[in-house]
Amino acid sequence: MKTRGEQRVFIFTFLAPALFLFTIFVAVPSVRALGYSLRQWDGLSTPKWVGLKNFITLFKDSDLFLVAFQHNLFLMFVGGLLTLALSLFFAAILHRRVRGASLFRVAFFFPNVISSVAIALLWVLLYSTTSFGVINSLLLHAQQILAQMGVTWPRIDLPFPFVDSKYVIYSIIPMMVWTATGFYMVLFLAAMENIPETFYEAAKLDGASEFAQFRHITFPLIREVFTVGVVFLVIGSLKFFDAIWVMENQQPTSDSHVLATVLYQKVFTEYNVGYGSAVAVLLFILVFFATLVTLRLSRKEALEY
Amino acid sequence: MQNALKILCAALLPVYILPGCDAVHYTPARSGSEKIIEVAVFEGGYGIDWHQKIAARYSDMHAADGIRINLWGDPRAVEKIKPRLLRGDPPDVLDLFGFPVWVLIGAGKLSSFTGALERPAYGTNVPWRDLFIKGTLDTFTSDGQVYAIPSALSAWACWYDTRMFRKHGWSVPKTWSEFDDLCKRIRAAGIAPVAFQGKYPSYAWNTFVALVQRCGGLAAINRLNAMEPGAFTGPDVVRAARLLQEMALKHFQKGAMAMTHTESQLQFVNGQAALIWCGLWLENEMKNSTPPDFEMRCFNLPAVEGGKGNPDLFCGEGAELIFVPSDARHPEEAIDFCRYLVSLENAPDMAKSIGVISPLKGAMPPAAVSPTLQSVLEMMKDGPGIFTCRLPTLLMEWNNQILNPALAALLRGETTPDVFCRRMEDGVAAARANPDIVIPPYVPYDPAAFGEEP
Repeated sequence: MKTRGEQRVFIFTFLAPALFLFTIFVAVPSVRALGYSLRQWDGLSTPKWVGLKNFITLFKDSDLFLVAFQHNLFLMFVGGLLTLALSLFFAAILHRRVRGASLFRVAFFFPNVISSVAIALLWVLLYSTTSFGVINSLLLHAQQILAQMGVTWPRIDLPFPFVDSKYVIYSIIPMMVWTATGFYMVLFLAAMENIPETFYEAAKLDGASEFAQFRHITFPLIREVFTVGVVFLVIGSLKFFDAIWVMENQQPTSDSHVLATVLYQKVFTEYNVGYGSAVAVLLFILVFFATLVTLRLSRKEALEY
Repeated sequence: MQNALKILCAALLPVYILPGCDAVHYTPARSGSEKIIEVAVFEGGYGIDWHQKIAARYSDMHAADGIRINLWGDPRAVEKIKPRLLRGDPPDVLDLFGFPVWVLIGAGKLSSFTGALERPAYGTNVPWRDLFIKGTLDTFTSDGQVYAIPSALSAWACWYDTRMFRKHGWSVPKTWSEFDDLCKRIRAAGIAPVAFQGKYPSYAWNTFVALVQRCGGLAAINRLNAMEPGAFTGPDVVRAARLLQEMALKHFQKGAMAMTHTESQLQFVNGQAALIWCGLWLENEMKNSTPPDFEMRCFNLPAVEGGKGNPDLFCGEGAELIFVPSDARHPEEAIDFCRYLVSLENAPDMAKSIGVISPLKGAMPPAAVSPTLQSVLEMMKDGPGIFTCRLPTLLMEWNNQILNPALAALLRGETTPDVFCRRMEDGVAAARANPDIVIPPYVPYDPAAFGEEP
């Protein structure tokens, strides 16, 4: 029987490596970033204390921060809702044992094993306005077929510049949904497969439709996992970076900026470390509170079975 | 519990030690009395073979003095150099591609070449400065001090395929109206007139600057560079913006605003578009995709009717810039190596080896360069010098947040030339009023020396 002290030593021994790495790579840089956000620094000369000036500049001197934040919210609500709806839909279908379920599961999950940069490059090619662009080619063919049938609607000037800075934030939604749906589908499906089959058998005996079974059995019983999914999406949408950076060729403008690209551009291309750190601090606060609010709103007594 | 605290303290100890480590300077080993000059270059499309050859030749020449060049290249050279600049241990000669050079100049981190430029150039009795094409030393010159030496020349030109022009009976335009007519004839032949690198709206910046010079002369460029109030809202600048917008709306290839530089340049070399505005790197950048029978040539931005500018001048600047940091271990030897690198002796070989044009006057026998670059020499023949606008490298935030989106909006036709110029003017005014932005004194171009009315 170990003493209480020995138990603590045992626990700390195992915690120490993780604690050490976390402190070095997360805690110290975070605290230093907070310090930089209160200074003016170009990364070369001596930092100058400016108090809250960087934070005031964020809101006062330009609307860049707010515009970027709006883009994050757009990705969160539009991209997030579509992802959740589709992943729930596919998970529910696969849960009902459709033919070839395992093949679909692998196919939907596949985008998750590709690097996000490769995915963004793939979609840049799909959206291309040159002859490589599959989507524009399909639209062009569709338009020609419709024209032969005497239908001149919709009047879109093709090829459509999907990855023009002006449209990038909208063009990212299909890519985001395509990439993320598989992950959330697998998450929800795993939760659904833990639900005892007897619940569904009883519901069927009572004459419940498929939709009623989903609404009254499936969804309430996977609600906790669903909440986790929502939290992941909220955090992911606020930290969104790589696809914009790739699609905008490292030069996003106010038409396409999100908070993380503003942060990167300020620190690494404009060498305004103080301003970039202020964005990082606000991004941290936003992610923290968004997660907190999501968890609060979805707090309900868990159903057990 | 005490043991637990000890472990915790041991775990946290490096956290408090490591951040202080950036004050420790790294000093490389030296071998006896030998002076090793470290040269770091950006390893891009041109490679570093030629630089290595020159470094070896220089080391052989100075072996008796114990001087040896240690040259290395890397596509991410700047990322490697950055921490060394911060800790005061940079290479002796370096390339700062993509780095905020004005910030370094403001922080006193770069050496001036001014003294060396007054001394005779390698192998001649002529001061080194006098060999440079007028304007090529201006990119990072402040208060009479030259902080960067160009090893190549960059010029902005309109590129075309002479084979296509011959086939259709088109000729090179001399005026902007002729350029407009040419584009109409190209479109009538079923070819897109102008390819454009729309994902980088800044590719239109040099065309705009050249148009400003054609409309308002170097006096207008001087006003922009000096950030004079009202410089962007003057009638010549607004006219230049209008001409640029008309070209974009009437003659750009469909979908151009969503094309990267490589996509649009591919459209050009594949004959989908007849013209493209680009720098001198185009031939080298597209060499693997250009059909063998493609005859890539260029012409200067045509004269604008009623304009005050000398149409023989071209928009360009010194390129492949090299710097010597003030913390270099051997600054004198480093500057001497730069003099050797950018010399009349080595310029023809550089042109032949990596396909660039030297910034030195008369250093380029046409036989030393490809037929494509010969057309550049032809374009330069009548020009007394080059000009550029320093604002994008000086005002990085203005460049990212104002210039790029405003140019994109102008090219898409979403804003009028007046609104575009007002936006640029307001952005520059905000930068001028910002005490945190260091604006070095500007030495204006002398219009008379460039063949313009003073």
